[in-house]
Amino acid sequence: MSLYLEHVSQQFGQTPALRDITLEIKKGEFIAILGPSGCGKTTLLRAIGGFIKPTEGTIRLDETIYSDGHTMVPVEARDLGMVFQSFALWPHMTVEEHVRFPMESKRQKHLSAEEKRRAVEQAIANMGLLPYAKRLPGELSGGQRQRVALARAIVGKPSILLMDEPLSALDAELKISMRREIQDIHSQTGATIIYVTHDQSEALAMADRIIVMKNGAIEQIGTPQEIYASPRTEFVASFVSKCNMVQGKWRDHQFHVAGSTLVYEDQAIAPVFKEKGIYPVRPEQFRLSRTGQGLAATVTNRQYNGREIQYSLRCANGWFTVYTGCEAMFQPGEEVRMILKDQEGAGR
Amino acid sequence: MDILRKGWQKSKTSLFYAAIFMIFVAPIIRLLVMSLKGPDGYSLQNYYILLQDARTLEAIVNTVIIALGSTVIAAVVGVLMALAVAYTNLRHKRLMEMMVLMPFIIPSYIITLSWSGLLTKRGLVNQFLESHGLAAIDMYTTGGILLVIGICNIPIVYLSVVHMLRKIPLDMEWASRACGFTIWQTLWKIDLKEALPAIMSGSLLAFLSAIDNFSVPAFLGISSGIPVLSTYIYEKAISFGPDSFPLAASLSVILSVIAITGTLIEALVIRKGGAMESIKDDYAVRIYLQKGRRRLLEWGLFLLWGLINLVLLAAMISSAFLKNYGLAMTRANLSLQHFSFVFTNTGVLSAIRNSILLAVITCVICILVGTAMAYLKVRRNSRAVALAEKCASLTYAIPGIVLALAMIFHWTEPLPGVKPGIYGTINILIIAYITRYLILQIKGSTTALLSVNPELEEAVRVSGRSKWTLWRTVMIPLLTRPVLSSAFLIFVSALTELTLSSMLASAGTKTIGLTIFNFQQAGDYSLSAAMSTVIVILILAGYSLVHFKASERKEKKEHEFVSGTRKSAVRTDAGPS
Repeated sequence: MSLYLEHVSQQFGQTPALRDITLEIKKGEFIAILGPSGCGKTTLLRAIGGFIKPTEGTIRLDETIYSDGHTMVPVEARDLGMVFQSFALWPHMTVEEHVRFPMESKRQKHLSAEEKRRAVEQAIANMGLLPYAKRLPGELSGGQRQRVALARAIVGKPSILLMDEPLSALDAELKISMRREIQDIHSQTGATIIYVTHDQSEALAMADRIIVMKNGAIEQIGTPQEIYASPRTEFVASFVSKCNMVQGKWRDHQFHVAGSTLVYEDQAIAPVFKEKGIYPVRPEQFRLSRTGQGLAATVTNRQYNGREIQYSLRCANGWFTVYTGCEAMFQPGEEVRMILKDQEGAGR
Repeated sequence: MDILRKGWQKSKTSLFYAAIFMIFVAPIIRLLVMSLKGPDGYSLQNYYILLQDARTLEAIVNTVIIALGSTVIAAVVGVLMALAVAYTNLRHKRLMEMMVLMPFIIPSYIITLSWSGLLTKRGLVNQFLESHGLAAIDMYTTGGILLVIGICNIPIVYLSVVHMLRKIPLDMEWASRACGFTIWQTLWKIDLKEALPAIMSGSLLAFLSAIDNFSVPAFLGISSGIPVLSTYIYEKAISFGPDSFPLAASLSVILSVIAITGTLIEALVIRKGGAMESIKDDYAVRIYLQKGRRRLLEWGLFLLWGLINLVLLAAMISSAFLKNYGLAMTRANLSLQHFSFVFTNTGVLSAIRNSILLAVITCVICILVGTAMAYLKVRRNSRAVALAEKCASLTYAIPGIVLALAMIFHWTEPLPGVKPGIYGTINILIIAYITRYLILQIKGSTTALLSVNPELEEAVRVSGRSKWTLWRTVMIPLLTRPVLSSAFLIFVSALTELTLSSMLASAGTKTIGLTIFNFQQAGDYSLSAAMSTVIVILILAGYSLVHFKASERKEKKEHEFVSGTRKSAVRTDAGPS
């Protein structure tokens, strides 16, 4: 049961929100849609959910058309569950009533009362909500509310789970533990998860594949490793892996850094960068040193966070960001060298 | 010095408490005492006499039937209209909303006049019905009173519900639809349940307003002998028998008990939901109707509201141009004689003068006192003012006819031996109007003040400027619009008021409402229609003037928002525009 999107476009008045989106999502995949606000990721999710009708294109689950020029299957007739950024709990219903709610719909008609009861019990128990079953949303903490929203979405065993920035309303520590729970849900239910986020670390940590979007169009689709280590566009390089764009000239498979004698070897750099005369370097690919062969730069800012130090530096090429270990400390104003770690000694 | 100042502070506070007691509480106590007064001392005898009387029981039963029935009409129509305006993709929603809110600014006795004018025995509608073998519709019945009060109270429920519906986050509906429910099931299972507190409190307000209503049963029930409590109190009080005042007082207590019972039931029924509503109103369309259905709904609603508002007013206005009430609409029968009477009769002109004077004085005093009290409550956390607000809402919650009676008992001799002689003058009306309407301004000014960030005041103080500068440059400019919008409500209510003036006005101090009432009671339907026409035109003109000014200012404000000069000055754009 794969989900297909073919040439899907969405127009809001004059502004295009989605431009010709074509992709295939396989059964049981965990897909993250990643992009900055306004990139169209939420619109894409809503089109898949059926909350909006795309202006053009087809969305289908295998051979079942969800929406195209003629048909528009309403939300309630699609086989899906959804988790909202705001959790969207109903203030007048208890936790138990929330989880039972989807089971009372037409979609679950084929189940017996006993099966429904067991499904509700299991979902409540699985999400650790047993002690709170009789409480109203107003009496729950943020994390507990999130669990209720998840339990409500999975209790009907939908084949697709849509999640719209489900963790962005939680504090940092809770985010990490909820990531684990969502991964557990994925492995237990085997549902296809389509997860919208603007947080690249969430996408990298959980997804099987990431779709990076910008201005309503897909920039790159790939595994987290591919997206992180081999960005195909300048946007992906800077948005996901926070790359520094070193200026220079490509000659064959060698990159000559502008204004210096340094030469970097090609490491599967995408053609886009070669055309533009750029070598993307992730912040942790540089190391800093007072001496040695590297780009000369001045430290302008230092932020220590315990595990690493984030430096901002200025050099002839522009502004750079470098993450280093905590061994060596450099002072703001100090002159240093930025050395590309895995190519030391390559250029001379 | 310090002791002196403390002493002054203390005596100021006790003076304030004494004034509050004198104005808002003492009249009600006087009424209670009066209800117990008999020829030989104090007892429950009055109640005993009244409850033996079949007419009292009839009045109680009628009051409850009319209140419940009209509340059902107001609630059902109000909720359906709120759903249509808040959620569907209807066009011309502003116009639709204005039509729904019409009964809010047009006094209920004028609406009564137009209905009874449209449905007279010899009128077009009834002649048509009878010629087709159907029964004629008689508005001078319990059902007629119930219908008109119900229509008058639709805006109360509508306003309460439409805001709540817009506050329900879209996500909550989508969550339900993702669970497998259609939009209609979602409306039923989620939105209406979420809006239930608003529906309940709106309906309760409609119920209280129906109990309070005097003019509709006075216009339709007195001549046809249908008693309800409010008109029965009026008839008892003006009968001038030896026990007429004590009996009217006892009836008032019975009426107030019904009103309080309604309030208590609401408190028991409403289960307070969590405070999870989104803060901003969401105007997104949630129910997309297909083009055909949408058109059908649009036309249906415009037809319905057009009938309720325009056709009815047109019927009344046209009858004002007829030489004699009930004549056919032919050119020979048309005349301006009623209008020329309205514009030349000294009684009518003095009534218009009185009403305008009353409305202006009430408005000015309410703005000054109400805003000052709101300021003390919001910024100084004054306990005395919080108590005063409770007392002031008491005199708004009890039925108007009851308050009028209490005013008479209290102000003829407010303190033992003190007889200021204000009963019979216009002063008693001024006092009664302020007692009645002050709470509206306290509430309005409170909302206005809450929308002004206290940091703005502190900023002026820190800049070393005086209190006077603070008010002149910051507070007054920011407060004017919201304060005036609630004052406008008081102005219109006072201008067209009937209940209080029916009891408190005397020969020289008649009001507009009372004059129309007297014409109608005397059988001069055409004159009452002509005068109502003038009033409706005045109100609509005033309303559009205020509305126009407000929207003009709003545009200006929005412009300033864009240029960023006042971005931080106003936290929320509170109050109706």
